[in-house]
Amino acid sequence: MNLRVPTRIVVIGFGMVGGRFVDDLMRRDTDHDFDVTVLGAEPYEPYNRVLLSDVVAGRTDVAAINMPLPDLDRVDLRRGVGAVSIDRAARVVVADDGSRHPYDHLVLATGSEARIPPIPGLSRETGTGLPAGVHALRTLDDAREIVAATVNTPRAVVVGGGVLGVEAAVGLAARGLDVTIVDGGPSLMARQLDGPAGEVLAASLAAHGVAVRTGVLPSEMLVAGGRIVGVRLGDDDVVAAGLVVLSTGVVPRAAIARDAGLTTDRGIVVGHDLRSPDDELVYAIGDCAEPPEGSRGLVAEGWDQARRLAERFADQAAARAAAVRREPEEITGGYKEHLRIPHAGEGPSMAVRLGTLMGSQAVTRTPSDQGIETRGTDVVKVKAGDISVVSMGAAGLGRGTRPGERSVHLSDPAAGRWIEAVVSDGVLVGATCVGDARVAADLTAAYTRRTPVPADPAFLLLTPVMPTAAAVDSPEHMPDDAVVCRCNGVTKGEIAGCCAAGKDTLEQIAAETRATTGCGSCKEAVCGIAAWARSSRPAGAEETQQVPA
Amino acid sequence: MADTHCPYCALQCGMSLAPVPGAGGVAAAASSVSMPDAAAARRRLPLAVTPREFPTNRGGLCQKGWTSAAVLTTPDRLTTPLIRRGGELTPASWDEALDLIAGKLGELRDEHGPGSVAVFGGGGLTNEKAYALGKFARTVLRTPNIDYNGRFCMSSAAAAANRSLGADRGLPFPLPDLGGADVVVLLGSNVAETMPPAVQHLQGAREAGQRDEGGLVVVDPRSSATAKLTDDGAGVHLQPVPGTDMVVLLGLLHVVLAEGLADRAYLAERVTGFDDVARSVAAWWPERAEIVSGVPAGELRRVARKLAAASPARGGRGAYVLTGRGVEQSSQGTATVTAAINLALALGLVGREGSGYGAITGQGNGQGGREHGQKSDQLPGYRKIDDPAAREYVAGVWGVDPGSIPGPGKPAVQLLRSLGTADGPRALLVHGSNLLVSAPNSDSVAERLRALELLVVCDFVPSETARIADVVLPVTQWAEEEGTMTSLEGRVIRRRRAADAPGEARSELWILAELARRLGTAGELEPGSVTFSTDPSEVFDELALASKGGIADYSGLTHARLDKDEAENGPGYFWPVPATPAGEHVIPSDETATTNPDDMVAWQSHPGTPRMFVGGFPTPDGRARMVVVDHAGPADDLRPGAPVYLVTGRVLQHYQSGAQTHRVAELERLVPEPYVELHPVLGVRVGVPDGARARLTTSRGVVEARARWTDAVRPDTVFMPFHWSGTGSVNRVTTDATDPVSGMPEFKVCAVDVAPVPEPALVTTGTPSESAPTLEETPA
Repeated sequence: MNLRVPTRIVVIGFGMVGGRFVDDLMRRDTDHDFDVTVLGAEPYEPYNRVLLSDVVAGRTDVAAINMPLPDLDRVDLRRGVGAVSIDRAARVVVADDGSRHPYDHLVLATGSEARIPPIPGLSRETGTGLPAGVHALRTLDDAREIVAATVNTPRAVVVGGGVLGVEAAVGLAARGLDVTIVDGGPSLMARQLDGPAGEVLAASLAAHGVAVRTGVLPSEMLVAGGRIVGVRLGDDDVVAAGLVVLSTGVVPRAAIARDAGLTTDRGIVVGHDLRSPDDELVYAIGDCAEPPEGSRGLVAEGWDQARRLAERFADQAAARAAAVRREPEEITGGYKEHLRIPHAGEGPSMAVRLGTLMGSQAVTRTPSDQGIETRGTDVVKVKAGDISVVSMGAAGLGRGTRPGERSVHLSDPAAGRWIEAVVSDGVLVGATCVGDARVAADLTAAYTRRTPVPADPAFLLLTPVMPTAAAVDSPEHMPDDAVVCRCNGVTKGEIAGCCAAGKDTLEQIAAETRATTGCGSCKEAVCGIAAWARSSRPAGAEETQQVPA
Repeated sequence: MADTHCPYCALQCGMSLAPVPGAGGVAAAASSVSMPDAAAARRRLPLAVTPREFPTNRGGLCQKGWTSAAVLTTPDRLTTPLIRRGGELTPASWDEALDLIAGKLGELRDEHGPGSVAVFGGGGLTNEKAYALGKFARTVLRTPNIDYNGRFCMSSAAAAANRSLGADRGLPFPLPDLGGADVVVLLGSNVAETMPPAVQHLQGAREAGQRDEGGLVVVDPRSSATAKLTDDGAGVHLQPVPGTDMVVLLGLLHVVLAEGLADRAYLAERVTGFDDVARSVAAWWPERAEIVSGVPAGELRRVARKLAAASPARGGRGAYVLTGRGVEQSSQGTATVTAAINLALALGLVGREGSGYGAITGQGNGQGGREHGQKSDQLPGYRKIDDPAAREYVAGVWGVDPGSIPGPGKPAVQLLRSLGTADGPRALLVHGSNLLVSAPNSDSVAERLRALELLVVCDFVPSETARIADVVLPVTQWAEEEGTMTSLEGRVIRRRRAADAPGEARSELWILAELARRLGTAGELEPGSVTFSTDPSEVFDELALASKGGIADYSGLTHARLDKDEAENGPGYFWPVPATPAGEHVIPSDETATTNPDDMVAWQSHPGTPRMFVGGFPTPDGRARMVVVDHAGPADDLRPGAPVYLVTGRVLQHYQSGAQTHRVAELERLVPEPYVELHPVLGVRVGVPDGARARLTTSRGVVEARARWTDAVRPDTVFMPFHWSGTGSVNRVTTDATDPVSGMPEFKVCAVDVAPVPEPALVTTGTPSESAPTLEETPA
């Protein structure tokens, strides 16, 4: 019985972030407060763009990257329909099929497109004007074409040694191609990694069949018969290649906003509240947005923005509903109580928290004077098979240690390992980890959850374990108080004592001490102790008492 | 001598009880085996425990089982009713106590309605008691407010299995089946401590691991005793950040789908909902799962491949996915179990011999306890109380008007929170539960219990909860009673009497009958149509009838049939065992049938159901359901002021609140006090040396215990066992946030501050065991 007029929300863009926003909003919209229209230019089902490098690597079934579809009874999804313009005065979006979509709130999630570098040989008149064999890696079509191209050529060049470039290169190498990464920066993944870390990574890549050429830009794409045959590097070296993958960054799609008179810079400028400073009805999220804290183009950031915006809309709707309803929120006496609203002090109910879903709730994000807490959304984890590379927060980038910070690092290039941890105020504020998956996972957990770091931050560089005596297998060296039978808490000393008293068969030991009578997995150990006790008995029964190691 | 089962966990290890030769009042042990003396022998204490061959324990017992008979002779055994007079619990006669209770309950019912009286049951009660308790609440008290401590155990697994598979039988296959599988995945289960003899059944997977053909996979934030079973190539231990087990499952399913390892034919034939679930896990690629869970992506891939290789569709010898309280006692427990089931379904494991999904039930009768009607939303036979047909049928068995059966009540945490509030219950009857120690946020539970006008506790020892009761009723314990239990695998087994109860201790069956007689049954169809038998065998027959046609159908069973099967070394009976006319099932001919009444035997031909779901799922369309779930994280997550996770669990030597095991000197000697496990790196950081006393603080309370440094816990996590009361009672700080579907509280993870205890500790903690028993209230 909802007599309220629904709020009309138009979403432009049905990619990773636009789709996620719709999903997040629908989960919160239990009272059908919103009329949602989504315009998605791509004709495909929504898919996980992050996994395109896995498609290239052959690591995932293409069908497995499809993302959830919204409930089409509740969302007006126009697939294959692009937005053409925004009439802000009339509050209407005009689409390329001529349809007009009035809104109360407009959400721009137009994403970004691959940046095509200005290199001779790459024509840019049309979107598909690249020479055959040259591909960006931004869409499912790109990924499919790259995979198809691997059949026809043994050599590939990846232009751009960022995260995507490294992932694509490793993926192509896994398909058996000779791959060269070309990057104009001083070292690989220069946005995330310090030079030494990048060098360790380059060495690991070499071991996986990927050559790395840094500090040099491609000067020309060599094309023959409309097909790529190689790349000339700045120093006149030529690398032969029948496949070139461009991973030279992305450009936010901001034209429609710019044309509508909204402020854009690199992307669509928004505040911490994700709203355009020019129009309080217009928001931008994901790659197309340029919030005050900047954008790294990571999906976790976009998803976090989607969640925040959905929460904001839902909160506003709830406030309106509360003003209308004027009835107590608590539902009492019914068995469904636990399905509904928690009592005071219970913490947020699942119904409320369901919405946060994939953005890990574990990451506390509170608006602060510095803006939005982004910790946890800026972890970069490279998907490169068994090459482990993770970067997070204030690490790398050649930055020096700031006042109040401690930075420790471990450099072990021969083992392919390079780790840095930056600590401030007793918590980890940044880290880089190349070549140690276990430590990388621990650093990530410490960083995203702000757990107390070790008093000596150097412990962050390893998996800290207790100093323990070497595992003891021989009954002779096992301390007397070592528990041999866990199920019954029987120690070596008790078993040895039993043997010393002349009861040294398995049955006798079991009857006397209950050792072996639980799960039985200590039988071998007990037999070993009995044998040792027998062999060491001749000199007298007393010497079975061993001094603990 | 009596062949029975251990009083503790759901493994229900087989054991025999016999008087200790030479001890006790009657001489000559040899005579005790002859039948005529058996009754006399029963009376003699102490009893000796002998392990018995039984499929779950294969003749093994842990220390708790070996020493279980000691609880029978505990010096502070309750032997007479107690009534609080002038602040003190003082001995009273049964008539006094029962009259007082009935009088007060009747008064409250008349003044405030039937909902003003609440009942709290337990997963340790026999099937017969659980059934009688539910019937008593609905027909005599007519209150909707009944729930039980199984809400703290099995409710998430139950809710998820019912939703996805159509039925909840913890292990829908015999436990020994595990032994044949290449891979067994244990999520949040520490069987090596909680049910040690069960470790035998993991040996097959461990050996497969050593052959590099599978292995044991343990998912636990701690390197528990069970996790250590994966050492030496026997398997893999995944050590996620507390509260993120679900992400591990979502990541595993992602890999299974991404690498094309799912059992497509099975999914097409036996499952609905696959496409939506597949899309939902597209967002959980292993690297993202790593960022949230702390489990390296490579390990997720490795485990997913192992699982798939072991699945029948890919020619493996089988795989099992098993969940325990570690993942279920969570505000997303139902969702996590659902994710586990989704994974098992995607691999085609469920309903296939040699593979499957299961939940490892904890309490002794945690399975049966959730089937016979002591749950707030349930009638016997695992029926739903809001199902009109179920109400109609059960009302017929009970002899009441269906309309007189109340509707669903509040689940445990909400029920406890409402006690003594303006609209909440004013009286509470507690059976087989020690709420003051075992409920989350226990300080506030204590406050609610004290706000009651009448608290009645039935127990056999003065538990912490009994000590604050207004009336305490002494009841029989395991070796003093007859009945049935249902093991973790759904096997219905007999509990048998080996000793007489001391003093005036009586069975709950008698107590409920006496209260029913005093209070009357207003909803009965005709005078006397509602009866409360005190004979467990008769109660079982009624329970069986009431369960007929339900999910957990016992109608083809009687005590006599169970006894006969056991005497003949039969295969045992796993529910459902519907009453079925002879001939409908092919079973071995029954040579001794002539000794039984024909009509009974004629309906007792069903062989039971060792393996469920093989022929289909008990859902409307016969298919299992994959349900989309996602990760939300703990309700009480890390934040400034509470930067460390607390996880809780058990130790081998103690059971639940410790009401029994703290009274066994041999167990108490080994683990005499609570402790906090913390990583040395954290210990140094927060200034708590090994062996020093640590203080854990949350917004709910404070707890103190001795620190044990160990690298078995993550540096961001501390661990405490929960078996103690007093300053070391960890449930004073755990959160009572609950799962929105199951009502399960989030025992297993919350955020705490860890600090040294500023001055030398003054107070020792724990339940008095060897010291003289007292009945005064525990210090507030």
